[in-house]
Amino acid sequence: MTKVVALTSGLSEPSSSTMLGEQVLAAVRAQIPDAETEIHSLRAYAHDVTDAMLTGFPNGNLRPVVDAVTGADALVVVTPIFKASYPGLFKSFLDGLEPDALTGKPVLLAATGGTARHSLAIDFALRPLFAYLQALVVPTGIFASPHDWGSEGKGALTSRIDRAVGELASILGGGGSGRGPSDDFDLFSDTFLAASRPPQ
Amino acid sequence: MAGMEFGIFTVGDVTEDPTTGITPTEHERIKATVAIARKAEEVGLDVFSTGEHHNPPFHPSSPTTLLAHIGALTERIKLSTSTTLITTNDPVKIAEDYSNLQHLVDGRMDLMLGRGNTAPVYPWFGYDGRKAVELTVEHYHLLRKLWDEEVVNWSGEFRSPLQGFTLAPRPLDGVAPFVWHGSIRTPEVAELAAFYGDGYFANNIFWPKEHYIRLINFYRQRYAHYGHGDPHQAIVGLGGQFYLARNSQDAVKEFRPYFDNAPVYGHGPSLEDFTEQTPLTVGSPQEFVEKTLTFADYFGDYQRQLFLVDHAGLPLKTVLNQLDLLGEVLPTLRAEFAARRPADVPDTPDHASRVAAKMVADAKAAEDTSTEEVHA
Repeated sequence: MTKVVALTSGLSEPSSSTMLGEQVLAAVRAQIPDAETEIHSLRAYAHDVTDAMLTGFPNGNLRPVVDAVTGADALVVVTPIFKASYPGLFKSFLDGLEPDALTGKPVLLAATGGTARHSLAIDFALRPLFAYLQALVVPTGIFASPHDWGSEGKGALTSRIDRAVGELASILGGGGSGRGPSDDFDLFSDTFLAASRPPQ
Repeated sequence: MAGMEFGIFTVGDVTEDPTTGITPTEHERIKATVAIARKAEEVGLDVFSTGEHHNPPFHPSSPTTLLAHIGALTERIKLSTSTTLITTNDPVKIAEDYSNLQHLVDGRMDLMLGRGNTAPVYPWFGYDGRKAVELTVEHYHLLRKLWDEEVVNWSGEFRSPLQGFTLAPRPLDGVAPFVWHGSIRTPEVAELAAFYGDGYFANNIFWPKEHYIRLINFYRQRYAHYGHGDPHQAIVGLGGQFYLARNSQDAVKEFRPYFDNAPVYGHGPSLEDFTEQTPLTVGSPQEFVEKTLTFADYFGDYQRQLFLVDHAGLPLKTVLNQLDLLGEVLPTLRAEFAARRPADVPDTPDHASRVAAKMVADAKAAEDTSTEEVHA
């Protein structure tokens, strides 16, 4: 079983980001036979995300979303583009994760925006963020502007989705980056060993 | 005092009272802290401890000065810290200051080491905050040497070398103060505590218990690994916080403005959510006792329970009243914790028990030496 989780941060309801997330997950299920998918929209957790920023821990509402995102085999990120970048809610959620939570995780980046002029935000805003998080991001980003929802043929939204999901499937079928978060204390790190080595 | 220790720990924040808009002066707050410590002894608490900070809005930059003064005004309560900064203080100065304190209060003290949480303090004291864990480890190894060995030869990465250095004054009766290590994030600190058989303290204020359970269980395992006893015999301390009134509704009504504006968690979660998710109790004395007793279910039987009572701008009068209410339920807390505690769970080592342990160890060492001579 391959667990693929979509995290969307659209703020309107209904949300085109959530719609795009659902489409990507449908393609995931089509291309990855053993995929189990779920989708979480951050809108419902806006207050919880703010609380976590202030207290330093996710509360009982938010914890399952954090666990789903960090525990997924692959992550599909879908965010609207506001003012040339992702919304603060989306960044605040990521800020609350443990530092190495997304290390080595296969990630597909997708975004929605009011016009196609926002499309490069995936590459100049989202991609550097996930590079910092040391996630393994697929080369194709999926940007959907309003006219994409009426597109067809080569270059249409569905074909870009299929291409990006194909890349995600390829990563999931391979060895990944060989890295992941450390889920236990490293007893053999230098500082750990030093703790039990007083000077003579 | 046999059995579990109960006490209070102060962060030493000088904070505006949100209900009156009045901020105490540093002088008023320092004097209030002394009054709170004396009250803690009066209501029967076992421990008073103070934080250490080097930036406003906190006042306690010199814990041993404060504690020595309180020590002169009290007779019984144990004085401690929460925490003494092992990262940015020179370990030689820590050894000197706390040895002096130990003599002045006749051994009625211990201390808790921590690394602090204010990034600029490191450069202000000439250190690099990125090396916090390395500093903690090196400084503590040196501190132990300074207390446990008569003549110290030492060199390390972070401090000028010492050749032929002898700490003055030597620890009282040749026995160093008991040391706790406070940490909320760093497993290396738990390892350090376990290695030396020191106490481990989880402040237990901000995060849900699962986070602390993991660290404390790890410390208990490592304590046993290093041969100090079984895991359930490791020396564990916990923080906690409460606001009490005779009935819950009054407690919630009175505390809410302080909670909502608290420097640490204010303007975030609701009081109701936070009490549900963290060890904070805002309610009746009975609710407080019930919640506090659950700590031992989660963390195992432990040795020291410290509460934060003087924070978020609560005025002195309110804090003293809170201590009266705590004093009233103290016998119940003591009895309930004692009832569930196995006989082989030790108390926090104090000066007398450490002197006794040293005599046993010295006698054994002398015996081993004389045996060796016979066989030589």
